[in-house]
Amino acid sequence: MKATRVLAVARKTLRSLKHDKRTVGFLVFMPLFMIAIFGYTFGGSLEDVSVYVVNLDSGVGNTSASEAIVAELAAGGVLRIEQVLGPDGDPADLVRQARAKVEAGNAWAAIVFEENFTADVLRSVADVGSVPTGVPGAITIHLDASNPNIAQAIMNEVQLTVQGVIVSEYHLLPPMTVSEERVYGEDAEFIDFFAPGVMGLAAMMVTFMLSIISFVHERSTGTLDRLLTTPVTEGEVVAGYALALGLVGLIQSIVILVTAVALFQVQIEGSPLLVLLIIFVLGAGNQGLGFLLSSNAKNEFQAVQFMPIILFPSILLAGVFWPIEAVPDLLRPVSYFVPLTYAVEGCRSVMIRGWGLGDVWFQLAVLATFAVVMLLLSTYSLKKRR
Amino acid sequence: MKSKDVAAGSRSGFEDGEGSVVAEKLRKEFDGLVAVDDLDLSIRRGTLYGMIGPNGSGKTTTIKIMVGRLKPTGGRARVLGEDVPIVERVADIGYMPQEMAIYTELTVSENLQLFGELYSMKPGPRAKREEALLAMVDLRERRDSLVSQLSGGMKHRVSLACSMIHDPEVLFLDEPTVGVDPELRVGFWQHFSDLKARGKTVIITTHYMDEAVRCDVVGMMRQGRLIAEGKPGELMERTSTSNLEDAFMEFSWRDAA
Repeated sequence: MKATRVLAVARKTLRSLKHDKRTVGFLVFMPLFMIAIFGYTFGGSLEDVSVYVVNLDSGVGNTSASEAIVAELAAGGVLRIEQVLGPDGDPADLVRQARAKVEAGNAWAAIVFEENFTADVLRSVADVGSVPTGVPGAITIHLDASNPNIAQAIMNEVQLTVQGVIVSEYHLLPPMTVSEERVYGEDAEFIDFFAPGVMGLAAMMVTFMLSIISFVHERSTGTLDRLLTTPVTEGEVVAGYALALGLVGLIQSIVILVTAVALFQVQIEGSPLLVLLIIFVLGAGNQGLGFLLSSNAKNEFQAVQFMPIILFPSILLAGVFWPIEAVPDLLRPVSYFVPLTYAVEGCRSVMIRGWGLGDVWFQLAVLATFAVVMLLLSTYSLKKRR
Repeated sequence: MKSKDVAAGSRSGFEDGEGSVVAEKLRKEFDGLVAVDDLDLSIRRGTLYGMIGPNGSGKTTTIKIMVGRLKPTGGRARVLGEDVPIVERVADIGYMPQEMAIYTELTVSENLQLFGELYSMKPGPRAKREEALLAMVDLRERRDSLVSQLSGGMKHRVSLACSMIHDPEVLFLDEPTVGVDPELRVGFWQHFSDLKARGKTVIITTHYMDEAVRCDVVGMMRQGRLIAEGKPGELMERTSTSNLEDAFMEFSWRDAA
């Protein structure tokens, strides 16, 4: 293998991209948009979820537990309380009215404080440590659970607020507490979790796509055949392409890293260079995969048809947006065959846990094996002459 | 991985008696279809050899075997004393395919640079060679244009220049003059004659029978076989015709009979 010829192939590959301004734009802005869109979509917390409150509780004296809770909920920001109904009026009718709002899709929940809520709360507080003499104060939530995320958020918000009010208003400390001591991921947010995933995904998508389309083009125009009549060897052609497309993946990763840090203050605890190395190896491997599949595509249109086959397992099973522990048992073995899984795991460990080369060697070794096998198979398939 | 690291222009070689390009009972079948049918061929060094014949007569297939892109089904082919696909002296052959096999998304100059680099040419000599070739194909003003923006004929000229960048010993040109205007075509043939005068071997396939008159030796191919071979004058004499087209028709009839 001669370096000058590998470089000549790599240079020509990069040059042909360079002349195509739109493609350059795509290569730079696609990852930028990806991280920005994903970041803003998933990074934000839920806010202003519409709810109605039905307060059937009239309080005890001039204290009202329900009013204290409603005030806290209103101040919280997660829920937007459209209207508080009651306590005057027919209870059944008030509940029906609020529930109608949920049924009509105008609100996600109707939060109902039952009659005598404050009285029940006060008695329960007095009962602490002895045999209960009544029932605890009750809140019923009529919930539109068609969106599980929102349903979960409403339940959490109400429960947390109730606990807070018990502590602040009734000075009643819970008998036990659970606290966390973070080993890794101090200040980690959801974006920190998926930014490494998006990076791997973008690099993988683009190197695979460029590779398969370039080679289909090279085959159909006869340039690949012509190259091989010169002293350049099959291995040198494959290596030149891997180098060029690996670099493209690298540039994209830098775009993503810079954007993610600038817009979302994503943490990079470990070495950014190690992250880039992981991406480069992933890119080189996908170049080989694209090359191999290109021999099964007659034209660019057929080449594009391979995209979803490669893309969907990677998006869904590689742990980009949710951990692979969330992948059903039946499919999880597939996760371990998706190279992106290792790239995402490696990048994540470096960026959030601050791990070094000694800690992510396994992921890197798997990716390197994938790359070497793909590149060797590509070379071999090129050597076969008709 | 095979080693192709032999410097361009090495002259170590084959016996003088052997032709630069030789085929012995060369055969190529595609799924039972015979493209080259026990072809015997011997082209001496320093010859301008014209291969003529209709589409499907096996010209392109023969050349693809010679440059190592197709594997023969039978027989033997040797180029510069080496069995195909040649490895040792691969840098001594040049090949211009029939299809426009150049990078349309690169500029003219970048295409030439790529091929020069693949032949391990040093930047200095490569630039000089590029200059000379661009003059020959009349594309000096378009050197920085993307190939995709050139006309069909211009693209062909770029492709021709790429095949000659390393000044090869043996040059295989598959239909080099398609889409080239007559004036420039005269220049091309002058250049091919110059190459021959310098001891290079040039094998050209062409549809233009009138062009083939300029060759030293013409091989007429039909159905994968050589049906006649000789100097253009001889071929016309043998058939009592006044041009190669009629001579070809005559040989075809004799062959079919």
